[in-house]
Parts: sequence; C-alpha cells; structure tokens
Amino acid sequence: MDAVMQAFALVFDPFVLGVIALSAIFGMFVGAMPGLTATMATALLVPVTFFMPPVPALGAIVTATAMAIFAGDIPAAMLRMPGTPASAAYADESYAMTQRGQLTLNLGVNLVFSVGGGLVGVAVLIACAPALAEVAINFSSYEYFWLACLGLTCAVFMTNADPVKGFLSLFIGLLLATVGIDPAAGYPRFTFGDVDLMSGINFIPTMIGMFAVSELMRGAISLRGGEAKIVAQQVGNIFRGVGAVFRPYWVNFLRGSAIGTAIGALPGAGADIAAWISYAVSKRFSKEPEKFGTGHVEGIVDSTSANNSALGSAWIPALVFGIPGDSITAIVIGVLYMKGMNPGPTVFNENPQLIYSVFLIFLLANVIMLPLGWAAIKGARQILRAPRNILLPVILLFCLVGSFAMTNSLYGASLMLVMGLLGWFLEEHGIPVAPLILGLVLGEMLEQTFVQSMIKSDGVALAFFSRPIAGTLGVATIAIWAVMLLRALRRRPAVAAPA
Amino acid sequence: MRLSDTILGILLLALAGWVWWLTTFFPAFPGQDYGPNLFPRILAAGIGICAVLLVLRGLRSGGGMMAVDGWVRNPRQLLSFLAIPAGAVFYLLVSEPLGFIPTAFLLLLVLFLWFGTRLVVALPVAAGMTLLVNWFFGGLMRVPLPRGLLDPFL
Repeated sequence: MDAVMQAFALVFDPFVLGVIALSAIFGMFVGAMPGLTATMATALLVPVTFFMPPVPALGAIVTATAMAIFAGDIPAAMLRMPGTPASAAYADESYAMTQRGQLTLNLGVNLVFSVGGGLVGVAVLIACAPALAEVAINFSSYEYFWLACLGLTCAVFMTNADPVKGFLSLFIGLLLATVGIDPAAGYPRFTFGDVDLMSGINFIPTMIGMFAVSELMRGAISLRGGEAKIVAQQVGNIFRGVGAVFRPYWVNFLRGSAIGTAIGALPGAGADIAAWISYAVSKRFSKEPEKFGTGHVEGIVDSTSANNSALGSAWIPALVFGIPGDSITAIVIGVLYMKGMNPGPTVFNENPQLIYSVFLIFLLANVIMLPLGWAAIKGARQILRAPRNILLPVILLFCLVGSFAMTNSLYGASLMLVMGLLGWFLEEHGIPVAPLILGLVLGEMLEQTFVQSMIKSDGVALAFFSRPIAGTLGVATIAIWAVMLLRALRRRPAVAAPA
Repeated sequence: MRLSDTILGILLLALAGWVWWLTTFFPAFPGQDYGPNLFPRILAAGIGICAVLLVLRGLRSGGGMMAVDGWVRNPRQLLSFLAIPAGAVFYLLVSEPLGFIPTAFLLLLVLFLWFGTRLVVALPVAAGMTLLVNWFFGGLMRVPLPRGLLDPFL
C-alpha cells in the first residue's frame, strides 16, 4: 500500500501533470494529422523526455500514445484518411457514416468507446502484470530464450505480410543488434574500427529514422498535391446518441476490448492489427453483415474499442519480460533501460512505486481523453488545416536534433538518416519494419540467453525443453513455426497459378 | 522504385555472404564452443535462406527487373522526395562548422520555400522555430548543440 501512496505522490506533482497535459495535446495533434503516426509521436518524444525523471518520461509517452490512437479516428471520419494506421481498419466505414450525415455520432462513438476500450486494457494490465511477474521471477535463460523467440515469431506472424519478407526484416534487425561489443566474449563485432559503432546501433535514432524520416520522405512526394477537402459538416453534441449505440452493441464493446487486449498483450502485434482483426470478427458474427461498409456503426464500436485497449495490454510483456508488445512499447523498453529501471519481474519488487505510477498515468490519460478528445473534435478543422509544407521541414529538424541529443554527437543524426533510407527502401519492397525493430530490441537478450543456455547444457538442444514452462513455450513457438510453414506451402500453388 | 524479387534476393544473398565472411575474422576462444561468431552466422544463414526463396519466387513469376512509380519521373516530386534526405545531409555536413542556429535556419527556410510557402511566412517561421528549438534543446535540455560561427556571441 505504501508503494501506491508513493505512486500517487509521484504522479500528482505539478511538473508531472504539466508534462502529461502537454503530451496529451501533442498526441492529439500528431494523431489527428494524417501521415504522422502514434509511433512517430513516441519516437519524437523520447529525446524530449530523455532528461526527465522516469515518471514524467513514461507519463508523456503513455498519454501521447493514448491520445494519438484516438485522434487518428478524426481525420478518418472527416477526410477518409486515417490519422494513424490503427484507424485504417474502419476509416472507410467512418467516412461512409459521415456521408450519411452521422459525423457527430461517429466521433462521439469513437471517443467514448476509445476511452472505454482503453480502460479495459489498463484494467487487464493492472490485474495481470504483477501476477505474471511473480511467475516470471523464477525464469531462467531457457524461458527467456523461448519468450524472445515467441515474441519475434509473433511479430512476423501478425504482420499479415509475406512470411519470407517478415523473417527477412526480423533477421536484419537481429543482425543490426549484433553490431558492437558481443555479450558473451566482449569482442567488438561489425564495428569496422569505429568507436561509435562499438556502442551498438542506438535504438532511438533508428526508430526516429524508420518511423519518422521515411514517413517524411513519403509525405514530401504528395505535398504539392493540394489540400484535401474537409467535409463541411457541423459537429454537434458528440455525446448525444452514444448511449443508444451502447445498448444494442455492448457485446461488441466487450468483444472488441477483449480482442484488443489479447492482441496487444501478444508480443509484436499492436493497436493497428487489433483494429483489423476485431473489425473482421465483428463482421463475421454480426446479425447484419451486409450493412458493413455502408456507414454502419457496429464494426466501429468493435474496432475503436480494440485499438485503444491494445495500448494498455501491450505494456504487460514489456514490463514483465522486457519483450515489447508493439513498436510503441519497443521504444518504452529503450526508455526504461535508459532510466535504469531494466524491465523484468524484479522491477515489480524493486521499484513498485514506478509500476503503480505507470498504471495511474494510464487511468489518468484515459479519463482526460474525454474532455481533450471533445476539444480536439471541436478544433479538428483547424488542426487539419495546419499547413503540411511548414510541418514537414519542422519535423525533420526535430528528428535531427532529437537523434543528435541521444548520442550528443552527429553519430545519432547520421544513424537516423541511414535508417530512414533503409526503412523507406524496405517498406517500398513490401518488407515490414516492425519485426526489424523488435529484432533490434530483443537481439541482445536472444543471443545472450541462447549462448548461456548452450553453454549450460553443453550443446544439448533438449535442455531447452527440460523445464516445464520453457518446454511449453518452446512447443508453442515451434507450433507457430509449423503453421507458418504450412501456410507458406499452401500458398505456393496460388502464387504460381497466374504466372 | 521497386527492385524485382530476383534482384532484391541477389542483393540480400550478397549481404549474407559478406556477413559470414566478416565472421571468419572473429577470434575463437579455446574451450568455448559458442563464440561471438555463432549468432551472426545463424542470422546470415537465415537471411540467405530467405534471399534464395525470393530469388526462386522472382524467377518463377518473371516480370521486369525493376518497377518505377510515376512520381520518380516527375522531377518536382522526385526533388521533393530527395529534399528530405538532402536536408539531413546538409545538416550533418555544415552544423559543426556553421553552428546550429544558422544551419537550422537555412535548412528550414530553403525547405519551406521549396514546398511552396510564401517568403513572408517562411522567413519569420524559420527564424522562430530555430530559436524555439535552440532554446528548448540547447537551453532547457542542455543538449550541446554546435555553436559554430555564433560562438563569440552566445
């Protein structure tokens, strides 16, 4: 109980509350701008939070992402352009509602169910994380090896991309993680005599490059295409009619939140995939599937709850095992390491007040989302009119300075540029970047636990299955590999046929 | 601009081979079977397998070696695209000798103008944003932004 009181004191501090308020506004803005994603918001926030104590730093990230995921719904409804990838699943449906004159209702539903879904995700986080941590405290290198494998496999499995390209991205990420001093023998690998590379591929400039710079390059192409037409519709009282939606569709709300929470907690899959899957599930089990795509609110209830609930639960594997649930928590893990609170079960014993603070901030973020979301909806026209030709260069400058700040040298900024080009190249070829990022984050842990386990067992592979939890995780991982292989084999004739 | 699966696969195969070749220079530790070269080799092998699959798939489906999107042929759009990395390169090259404030101001001003902002707007916004970033990162967060030319005045 003492730790809870400490957490309250940590969070309800004027500086922390100020940081939360500012990052909420920042998150709303970034989320509402098409082309600027929640992950990008987080990556750009890290350099700013670098010099803060852990609680405001984490508070800024939690708040900004929660707001951004909701705010992505606004341009989806008004412009048919999802503000973040997490809103893409139901952007067409939302826009169809707008065309039918239901913009107000749509935004109200998005806001209220986003808050609801977010709270469900947080509740699961609060309930599960400490319990899991107690189990995880007995884990050895075998369990961590399989957990890392499982996390990385899920990252490939969930991207929906071609598995070959998913694995390629993963291997490249793991390979990047091997740059620098090797964890077993202390030998500098792939450094080419460069002092900066000895410290490894710094993770934050990589993220800024892959998620912001490559996005800027794509955005620059279409910049002179003229401004999109904003639907000229008055937004009325957004909360009217939401109750009438809740009554028939409360099952959808619970189902969407449950699916979102489960997918968020899976390593490697985040809010965007949660939204796609719950939208599909909603259509599959709907009594009136023919209405989907014509501006029907049912699927929106499911998926808008799902993407916000995924945010909270993604922190479960991140905090308990140090395995990111999505690309946002991948950044969070980097931040945790920088703040000296290495994620893992021990953090629950050593720094429980920090964990409780994260929980509190999550609750707080979801509560202030109601008034702030209302304000963002009211001001959406102004936000969407923000000139992108001014925004893009300014973001580039932020990226440069932010990356510079992470290493206090041009190494960070150069790394950012290289990774931006690499990220753009990979995406251009249908190779997803998310597995690469997870590979980069988990690479050291995977290698360390693998080499440790091999040394302990003297090269006997069966030892990886010798402990009950490790064995279960190992079998599960191998089962997923088998499913992927089968899928790939079955797909082959379909690909070959048109040729 | 998109390379075909065949070309992409060959490039990746070369990458895998290069990584493997580099690992042959890693020292071995007597009595220690699992040294620093084990993990990179596994990864190189993984990349190699994926690359071979890509090459096979590319050969089977045929098609051109490279696909070029419409925007690449439009010089304005191509230059807009290149402006982002070029801006970053400019910053990397001149920020140390010139200092942060002049570099950032020039970078913003040129990009604003290129992307079609009027000079009356671009000048004050570039100056304002430069000073804001300098104050926030340089002053508040104590990032050692290069002072360059302005060193005597700061």
